[in-house]
Amino acid sequence: MERRRTATVNTESGGTTGTRNPLLLAALALVVCAAGAAGWGGWQRYEASHDDAASFAQARDDALAAGEQAVQNMNTLDHKALEQGLDSWEQSTTGDLHRQLVDGRDDFARQIAEAKTVSTAKVLSGAVTELDQRAGRAGVMVALRVTVTAPEGEPAVKESRLLGTLTRTAGGWKLSALGQAPVGSTAG
Amino acid sequence: MSASGATTTVSSDAALDPEAEEARTGTPDPEVGADVSRRRWPRVLGALLTVALIATGGALYAEGRQLRDTPATANLALTDAEATTRVTGDVSSALSKVFSYGPGATAGTRAAAERVLAGKALQQYATLFGQVERQSADQKLTLTTEVVRAGVTRLTDDSAHLLVFLDQVYERRGRTPTTASAQLTVTAELRDGRWWIVEIGST
Repeated sequence: MERRRTATVNTESGGTTGTRNPLLLAALALVVCAAGAAGWGGWQRYEASHDDAASFAQARDDALAAGEQAVQNMNTLDHKALEQGLDSWEQSTTGDLHRQLVDGRDDFARQIAEAKTVSTAKVLSGAVTELDQRAGRAGVMVALRVTVTAPEGEPAVKESRLLGTLTRTAGGWKLSALGQAPVGSTAG
Repeated sequence: MSASGATTTVSSDAALDPEAEEARTGTPDPEVGADVSRRRWPRVLGALLTVALIATGGALYAEGRQLRDTPATANLALTDAEATTRVTGDVSSALSKVFSYGPGATAGTRAAAERVLAGKALQQYATLFGQVERQSADQKLTLTTEVVRAGVTRLTDDSAHLLVFLDQVYERRGRTPTTASAQLTVTAELRDGRWWIVEIGST
């Protein structure tokens, strides 16, 4: 009985150093590597979500999309759907521009109702010229083709170049200023 | 684990391990099965843990890539402020040069064009400029082009698309100048450290 126990102890210690340990070490190394991989993946994920360039690029594209849509809305008006059109104008704007539109809405609606015009607009191209993410402000330039159809005569097609300022609101980017790019102001 | 499975394991273990021999003679079978599985669970757990960790790492990395490599980040317009300013400046000054000329000074404009235009843009320009040279000489026409605003719509390491608003002032001797506004889309390529206009289109 006692002899046997000694033999057992011997075999066990021999087994531990001879066969089990390298495997155990390899397994441990594998687990450590796997933990490293998980940690690295997590770090990459964290970096990505805190990547300023990525969020800046996204803000730029959001601002441009909103700006082009707003400029198009502001140049689209059908006298048969005046209220709907003017609502979309107000939804596309904020700040001073929004206030001006709200104040002038009734007069403007009357004018369009009398002129019976239908304006449609198509954005030809647009670019963001400046973006201040912290201030929530962006400048856009948009080339636009506007077609105005009056009850009589041929539709008038006009290409216009617009400069707009966008402000970020809770409801996304909205136009806070919009005007034609000045002509002749830079020519000497 | 099935009963036959446990028996097989025990018998094969017994051939190698004297301790198992003692176990076979001294202890009943169910307890041996429990002992074997008790020795196995760290391995199974370790394997599961390894797989789970690798899968987690891979998933997080993929998610990170997805966040970072979007169509938005591929476009460097404004995100690379220096490159944006540079291409805007190069293209603006190139356009002002090639679309400005006076009678008797068209040769200089043509030479300037060959230094800033390439590819399709140069061909378009050569066609157009043949007429312009004759007109300018005949009518004493002077054209001055100023860039009002230029914006980059798309920018990569070596190519750019821009939208440019221009004012063009035509002067005929003895008449008041007229100003025309224009908007162009421009494609530019970076070659030898300089931006070349390779295509000019009306919007």
